[in-house]
Amino acid sequence: MKRKGRENVYLPLSADVEEVIPLTPETSLFRVRPEAAIEYSPGQFFMVSLWGAGEVPISVASLGGGDGPLELCIRRAGLVTGALHGLEAGDTVWLRGPYGNGFPLDLSRGRDVVVVAGGIGMAPLRPLILWFLENPGAAGRVTLLYGAKRPEEIVFREEMDGWRERGVDVLLTVDTPAKGWEGRTGLVTALWQDVRSDLQKAVAYICGPDVMIRAAMGELFLLGMPEERIITTLEAHMKCGVGKCGHCYAGPRYICTDGPVFSYREIRSHSHFLTG
Amino acid sequence: MRNEWILDKNHLSYWLRQLRKERELVGPLLNGGKDIVFRTVEQIHEIVLDLPASLPSPKEFLLPQYEPMLRLDIPSGEPGLHYRAQPVSPDACVKGSRAGRVYDLAERRRRIVFGVRPCDVSAVRLLDRFFLEGYRDPYYEQRRMNTLMVTIACNNPDPTCFCIGLGTGPYLDGGFDIQLTDLGNRYFVQAASAEGVRTVKASSFLFRRPGKADHDDQYEVILSAKARFRKRISLESPRGMILAGRIKDDFWQRVAARCFECGGCVYECPLCTCFTVTDRRYHGGIERARLWDTCLFKGFTRMAGGVLPNEKRMLRTKRWYYHKLIHYPEVLGGFGCVGCGRCTLTCPGKIDMAAIATAMKGLDLDGATAVAGKGRQVGIGEVMRRPKPEETGAGTEGEG
Repeated sequence: MKRKGRENVYLPLSADVEEVIPLTPETSLFRVRPEAAIEYSPGQFFMVSLWGAGEVPISVASLGGGDGPLELCIRRAGLVTGALHGLEAGDTVWLRGPYGNGFPLDLSRGRDVVVVAGGIGMAPLRPLILWFLENPGAAGRVTLLYGAKRPEEIVFREEMDGWRERGVDVLLTVDTPAKGWEGRTGLVTALWQDVRSDLQKAVAYICGPDVMIRAAMGELFLLGMPEERIITTLEAHMKCGVGKCGHCYAGPRYICTDGPVFSYREIRSHSHFLTG
Repeated sequence: MRNEWILDKNHLSYWLRQLRKERELVGPLLNGGKDIVFRTVEQIHEIVLDLPASLPSPKEFLLPQYEPMLRLDIPSGEPGLHYRAQPVSPDACVKGSRAGRVYDLAERRRRIVFGVRPCDVSAVRLLDRFFLEGYRDPYYEQRRMNTLMVTIACNNPDPTCFCIGLGTGPYLDGGFDIQLTDLGNRYFVQAASAEGVRTVKASSFLFRRPGKADHDDQYEVILSAKARFRKRISLESPRGMILAGRIKDDFWQRVAARCFECGGCVYECPLCTCFTVTDRRYHGGIERARLWDTCLFKGFTRMAGGVLPNEKRMLRTKRWYYHKLIHYPEVLGGFGCVGCGRCTLTCPGKIDMAAIATAMKGLDLDGATAVAGKGRQVGIGEVMRRPKPEETGAGTEGEG
């Protein structure tokens, strides 16, 4: 996947914005079509930019393959993402990538899978679930544990109903319920007992806020899941995506080129990975 | 025949004038004050040799403080922040753009940097690994390919130099383009790279082959240079102490308490490479450029939404030292320090690499006390003697 040719790795491709779909008040799904077809896999990310605003790392939210558009799930959080939220269909966005290692997909073959997501942490895990749905032999039972602050902040909520129909156990929880909320309340890590798989034999893929990742990994390990099968994807401030700018440096690794996907085993061996 | 020659000192300026015909000549010059800076040489007699290390290091010719990378030209006027695609014909596209012309601004100027120190060349060898392995950095690569470095072995090391303990100076056996050793009235010239050999041979009429006396003189000069080092510092022992878990966080607390977060060490360091990328708008286009950044700044790791993973100054200070002492050797095969002594000259808190290595040496096993040294080491020694970090304010981080 690494482009080691003589071309300039910092040179972005332009992409047409085909559609901007609001998911929550602060999060939208951007469907874009790059000027040239790009192959990518779940867990990888792109450096997405607007000239004049800057570049930010955004993980892919679509599965890729075929000739569908590239989907990016972006929360309005800062200067660049704020500017991106000003885009509408017909505008141009710029991309470099894909970068990063992506999820280890072989790990789940013949095993049950628990996907643990918090907030916009669903974005990089969505293509993983789509991959399991499209490749029935790729995993056993798939369970999604998803937590959001409030019901209206759940991303891909309608899509999750479709996943449920196709056999995924979807368990939703919110911190603050609203009127009419029939799901659970509380932390996503309180849902282990509702998982119908043997956690000791399963694989977990986790993404969300830092505290949630740390809690989920630690608890799954305590519940007997081997540390090399507890997988997460980390986020960091990045300026290059190709291991040069130094911003995502963690221990001897760079989150952009050595990650962003790491196992709990790798994370435990380097205290720098998770902060605090 | 080995690639060794003798250059009479009287021929040096003539040789440099020859070199200048092909390339921009950069050398150490004395600026208004007392600083040595590498700048384009207008008058060859202004080059100053045998003076203290330049500030900053010549890394600025491979990774400039500000480097334009790409430029987007917009055909019709100033774009807003919310840049919209401009209707231009497809044949106006350069570099894969449909919305405007994108230009690659990589600098391709041929340049010769004269008077580089062996430690700085040793640093460049690691920079080559860093920038050219994995994803190749095209901006570094272009500059590197077009830069020839002429090294002068250090016969008179500065009081701050400690390359001798790291094998990165004062004289190199290889890895340089051209290395000169000052033998009084002549230079002993060695070329190690193909471009270095070609460059010497292009002016071969100025050089003669060395004789036994020349070799003997060079050997003697190197020996006497090696005897002149005032600092004998090994980084193996600090690395070993850290890996053995003998350096506790309270040590880094007290180091961090003296950090001004000025970034001076990082900017002068020939092996610090971190940069940030910024877009600047000007009439008719937008320039994407990179500029030096430092992990010692609090905002270095700031993520969208304002999360600061490295909020504690102690963690940032520790990370800088870990990068140079632990991770650089693991990943690139050499310390992230070549003993150039620039951080010793620059650091207002006296927590430079040499001071830290010395302070660690003075620690007893529980890491609580230190023996105060002499001269500069007293600075860090004072810190180490303070009984509790709270008294120094290190634990409270007096920043808003």
